[in-house]
Amino acid sequence: MNNFSFYKDGKGLYCLFFIWLCFSFSSLYSKNTVRHSTIFTQQHQIQGTITDGINPLPGVTIAVKNKINNAAISDYSGQYTLSASATDTLIVSFIGFKTTLVPIKGRKTVDVQLIYDTTTLQEVRVNAGYYSVKESERTGSIAQITSKDIEKQPVTNVLAAMQGRMAGVNITQTTGVAGGGFDIQIRGRNSIRSDGNAPLYIIDGVPYSSQTVGSSRSTVVLPSASDPLNSINPADIESIEVLKDADATAIYGSRGANGVVLITTKKGKEGLTRYTVDVRQGIGKVTNFMDLLKTDQYLEMRREAFANDGIDYGPSDYDVNGTWDQSRYTNWQKELLGGMASYTDIQASLSGGSSKTQFLISSAFHKETTVFPGDYHYNKANVRFNLNHQSEDGRFQINTTAGFTAQKNNQPGIDLSQFVVLLAPNAPSLYDESGNLNWENSTWENPLSYLEGKYKTATNDLIANTMLSYAILPSLTAKASLGFTNTNHNETRTQPSTMFDPAYQLGSEYSIITATNTQRQSWIIEPQIEWQKSYGKLKTQALLGSTFQKLSGSQLIQEATGFTSNALIYSLSSATLLKAIADNESIYKYQAVFARLNFVFNERYILNLTGRRDGSSRFGSRNQFANFGAVGGAWIFFNKNQTKTNNPVISFGKLRASYGTTGSDQIGDYQFMDTYSTASTNYGGVTGIAPTRLFNADFAWEINKKAEAAIELGFFRDRIFFTGAWYQNRSSNQLVGIPLPGTTGFPSIQSNLDASVQNSGVELTLRTVNFEKESFKWITNFNISFAKNKLLSFPNLKGSTYQNQFVIGAPLTIIKAYHYTGIDAQTGIYQFEDINNDGRITSPEDKQTVVDFSPDFFGGLQNQINWRRWQVDFLLQFSKQKNYSEEYSLGLPGAKSNQTTRILNRWQNSGDNAEFQRFSTSADGEVLDASDKYFNSDGIITDASYIRLKNIAISYTLPEDWIKGVRCRLSFEGQNLLTFTPYKGNDPAFKFAGYLPPLKVFTTGLNLTF
Amino acid sequence: METKLYLRKQITLFKRIIISLLVISGYSCESFVEVNSPSGQLSTEAVFEDKGTANAAVSNIYASLRDSGMLTGNSVSITTKMGAYTDELNFYGISSGTTLNFYNNTLLPTNPQVVSWWKTAYSQIYAANSVIQGVTASATLATTDKNQFIGEALFIRSLLHFYLLNLYGDVPYVTATNYKQNTTIGRSSTNLLYSKIIEDLQTSHALLPESYLSADRTRANKAVAMALLARVYLYSKAWAEAANAASYLLNNTATYKWENDLNKIFLKGSTVTIWQYKPGVEGQNSAEGGSMILLTGPPADVALNPNFVNAFEIGDQRRQKWIGSVSKGTSTWYFAAKYKVKLKTATSTEYSIIFRLAEQYLIRAEARAQQGDLIGAKEDLNKIRQNAGLGNTPAVSQQEILEAVIRERRFELFTESAHRFFDLKRTGQLDSQLTGVKNGWNSTDNLLPVPESELTLNPNLLPQNLGY
Repeated sequence: MNNFSFYKDGKGLYCLFFIWLCFSFSSLYSKNTVRHSTIFTQQHQIQGTITDGINPLPGVTIAVKNKINNAAISDYSGQYTLSASATDTLIVSFIGFKTTLVPIKGRKTVDVQLIYDTTTLQEVRVNAGYYSVKESERTGSIAQITSKDIEKQPVTNVLAAMQGRMAGVNITQTTGVAGGGFDIQIRGRNSIRSDGNAPLYIIDGVPYSSQTVGSSRSTVVLPSASDPLNSINPADIESIEVLKDADATAIYGSRGANGVVLITTKKGKEGLTRYTVDVRQGIGKVTNFMDLLKTDQYLEMRREAFANDGIDYGPSDYDVNGTWDQSRYTNWQKELLGGMASYTDIQASLSGGSSKTQFLISSAFHKETTVFPGDYHYNKANVRFNLNHQSEDGRFQINTTAGFTAQKNNQPGIDLSQFVVLLAPNAPSLYDESGNLNWENSTWENPLSYLEGKYKTATNDLIANTMLSYAILPSLTAKASLGFTNTNHNETRTQPSTMFDPAYQLGSEYSIITATNTQRQSWIIEPQIEWQKSYGKLKTQALLGSTFQKLSGSQLIQEATGFTSNALIYSLSSATLLKAIADNESIYKYQAVFARLNFVFNERYILNLTGRRDGSSRFGSRNQFANFGAVGGAWIFFNKNQTKTNNPVISFGKLRASYGTTGSDQIGDYQFMDTYSTASTNYGGVTGIAPTRLFNADFAWEINKKAEAAIELGFFRDRIFFTGAWYQNRSSNQLVGIPLPGTTGFPSIQSNLDASVQNSGVELTLRTVNFEKESFKWITNFNISFAKNKLLSFPNLKGSTYQNQFVIGAPLTIIKAYHYTGIDAQTGIYQFEDINNDGRITSPEDKQTVVDFSPDFFGGLQNQINWRRWQVDFLLQFSKQKNYSEEYSLGLPGAKSNQTTRILNRWQNSGDNAEFQRFSTSADGEVLDASDKYFNSDGIITDASYIRLKNIAISYTLPEDWIKGVRCRLSFEGQNLLTFTPYKGNDPAFKFAGYLPPLKVFTTGLNLTF
Repeated sequence: METKLYLRKQITLFKRIIISLLVISGYSCESFVEVNSPSGQLSTEAVFEDKGTANAAVSNIYASLRDSGMLTGNSVSITTKMGAYTDELNFYGISSGTTLNFYNNTLLPTNPQVVSWWKTAYSQIYAANSVIQGVTASATLATTDKNQFIGEALFIRSLLHFYLLNLYGDVPYVTATNYKQNTTIGRSSTNLLYSKIIEDLQTSHALLPESYLSADRTRANKAVAMALLARVYLYSKAWAEAANAASYLLNNTATYKWENDLNKIFLKGSTVTIWQYKPGVEGQNSAEGGSMILLTGPPADVALNPNFVNAFEIGDQRRQKWIGSVSKGTSTWYFAAKYKVKLKTATSTEYSIIFRLAEQYLIRAEARAQQGDLIGAKEDLNKIRQNAGLGNTPAVSQQEILEAVIRERRFELFTESAHRFFDLKRTGQLDSQLTGVKNGWNSTDNLLPVPESELTLNPNLLPQNLGY
């Protein structure tokens, strides 16, 4: 270890040095500026209106060709004035429209109708992170959605906005409770570790850690701890690009294996100062309830179970032994989850600027309540500021963005969903006559008692970045990207004594609060040099840069008990016992050098080389550095702009391919160290310390080899545009937490696994412009992905702890299950295949049937229809997949918990041919055992394919003359509206049994632009 | 010519920039990505160089035994669960938690309690092995400290293996921290396990100090190791050794002064306590008191089986003093009231006791009877009976005396770490005593299932215990 380093504590110095480097060349070359001489001609005042054919267009730039500093911007009614000579030509440009050249030809009034820019798809520049490329010259696989798609969705998490819209990107929501997160897999599961599959998130050039904040000790209401991506306001996003193949991701080296998600926020735009207000209001409800037993059906089940088991009602079988009213019926789902959540969104932004300096200030407020009974809500407020400036000669540019988000989440301590379906339908009423929680003489746990416990979070997030660039030469630009993020997350979970039955006499001295404070801070400095030059038909570009990044995190988890009053529960100092459960800090340092070389010959042949050398503190000193790289190429074999022959059908054709390597260091910090850590226990006045982990000093980088080949075809002036991509990713030397048996003392060890995993698949996208008339336009976007995951090789699988988990040649997403063979007509008990014929059904010997949960295919179909002032947009999301059937979360039919009505089709008498085995109270070991095996068999796995109307957005823009000077748009939006599926549970896509599935949301909105 | 020169100039400049960038980057390569170990973590080597941190590592194993796993004495320990598994406790709870499966004798290899006891025990064994390894390698610790720490770790290692063996059958005996070795470790036979447990306990006894580290008897000394050794000898039918080991404690009347008052036996300062847990916080009392004592009915989890309560001999003071009851309407529920305090108090008055002297008398009584020393056996047995206010045992023959000892154990040691289950098991009486009494009882229920996940990850543990 070298403890002295120039850079360790000298980042500032380094930064200064680099800036000096930039400026040291500036004086030398500043003389080269070309000065245009202005030819004097007679000036006239020109005026006119800019429209799109129907509506006037505000904010359009009208410039005069060859005359710098002579430009105007149209006002809210589309009108402009500027002075020009009669022979001048106007350049009229506006984002989303074709730039039009209009010769003045002596006119005083020049009205211009701009045409929507739909055919220049190929000219769009796509953000590839460190650089951007023209769509037509793109060699890598990059999927993009823009603000146009995001704005139409009533969502609070960016990942929700991406669902169903991108080929190869599979996103599942983990809970319907606000503050929860999403699972994302880009081109399948690369890593055997289930938690090592998150992509790299980059917000305006700054890596943003998606690792959950908070802790599982204080977060119980959500399936996993709080998702930091909730801090990003979807309305602030200009575009999201997902980088998938080696060509696009190798420049991110060790962090690119699972794909890269680039989030670009909105920037200030040149033009009149515009003020936009957007207000939305809506409601959310549970999409679907299970069809559960009514009281008479339930009691019939229970009585039959006791009869089957041959036992009498026990003293605590209150539901059937006469203690509870047997004529009572409560639909607990409706009672406890049937509420309506409300949504409120207010956004306001101010933007504008000159051609040299632009700004954007925006702020937003979001509030949503829950479907649970009680006053729970999630609030989010954010402000953002963006400033772009360039020097008079355009050589120096600075672009700064800073955003601050504050979130407050107030939820019940526990997600009630898990209790609701299990409650007996004749369970007592929630409140007694005097309005207090009813405990019915200590015969039940009142579900509302869980709501006494609260989960509260307060999260503050700051993301700031600055991009400086200076054109040293026309061909050479030096850049520096500087970024800073700061996250501070406080969460508490309370378990006050009022949660407990008062009969147990537990006072506030038993009340508990668990408080977690998480802080995360990171900075990044990325100096870069860009060089570009054309040699005849050859265009070359080069990029060289380096990265220094440091992420420091700390977490303090405290638990306090023993309060003199429950009113003091949030005051940790009022507790008689305050215990620090964990006090962790972690530092992650990362350093890299990266480069790109790009050649475009004759606008037809493109070669793109990228590479990166990475070093990470997550590895032991022997394995800190590794190299990654990729080569990508493209051949544009047809482009109507270049080809003389005017083919009426085909308009564009491109073949592209790439191959390269990326890696992953998502393994957590300090895993190579052999340490003891504080255990926060006390024994005889000594605070204990415990072994932290099984350590492995020698684990090293894993390598992912990615190959891709794709074809892009445009027909009829690109009105039909098709992309077909094939990919194959192979990862080897995987870094995994190898699961270990309990006899080792730990659940796993971090190690490189000599196994190789292949993800391959085909992604197809099709974009069609079905109609393109002035008043009617209809565009359809379709994407579908077929992905296959396969374990290629695993030396000594038989001798490893994975032997009963994986099969060579099968996907990693499999489970091994018993093979269900039906119900024994005589005994009425589930039967399973005895694979090893030893007369016993045991695990793992007979648990060998492979079931795969990964979807066969998934995708989305989006339609966008514009008709005069109306716009309708809807997205259908689909997936062919399997899931556990709904009984999975319900337990044993016949025991003291409710069931779906489907179980009424059960075995009753010898010879019955039923779907479910005989009822039991759980006293019959054989039935209970068969039930448990059934839950672990292929019998419980069912088709959960679905087509879902994921999103619908309808908007109407009021005519301009209704309110003078105000553009007004009314909208209606809906999310998760309809699902077509053979699946009988709550939600076929939902995989977190016991948690609230995503809600159905409707909002109406008003958007005003001044 | 001029353009060429310009181009060259430009390339040189470009080169210069690249070189300076590389130099900058290269500079820091080695050191930038080095990190020091985080605060709150200490390298294993350093832990065992210092007495304070080594002691903290050992203390934490005790704290872990107290707070998690089989031997906590709370509602998820073997005290409650195995009590419900036999005829000691009845389940009255309203939630269908794991106790119901124990009570119904319908355990599955995936039962979370069964899994958690196994995993917690082996993680505690790992911690003990880590201490043994670390202390042995330490160059700076004093020999007396080394002996103390290794002795304690060996004691804990054997204690856990003893319980694992009696619950799960032939289990692996883990003596190292090497995960490669422990991943594929196989089961050992019962005989081999007992010999390893005895070996560890003998070494532990030799290394541990004579006196307790603190007056409250919360850390192991020679006597604590010997108390377990006496029980282990008894279970492995080494009668003479069992009797001798028990005598080691029983003869030490200076430390273990007999207590006549049944109400004082479970107080924290009791002179018949051999080993008890120190609570994590002052004011906390025993886990048993917290989970067993009922304030109201119906019970939220378990209560004593009324048949057990009714089986006490008339005049048995333990029925009066160690059993409490609550009533509601016409129903009455009984609970173990050995510990009197359920809730927190200003200062702790009761700690959870793991070993106490009465067991040693009963061990010696049984061992003496087995060896034919019937007079000595009755003497020890009557010592316990007298304390309970009962007369001398009417048992005469060896068989009668042995039966009387087992019977006495039932009433003396109820709700103390599953003695009832282990006694019935080692004397081969599980089926005869529980069939018909327990609806779901099968003879294969003498063993718990090995956790399914263990068999999946380590096939050397196959086959699963019969009946699962």
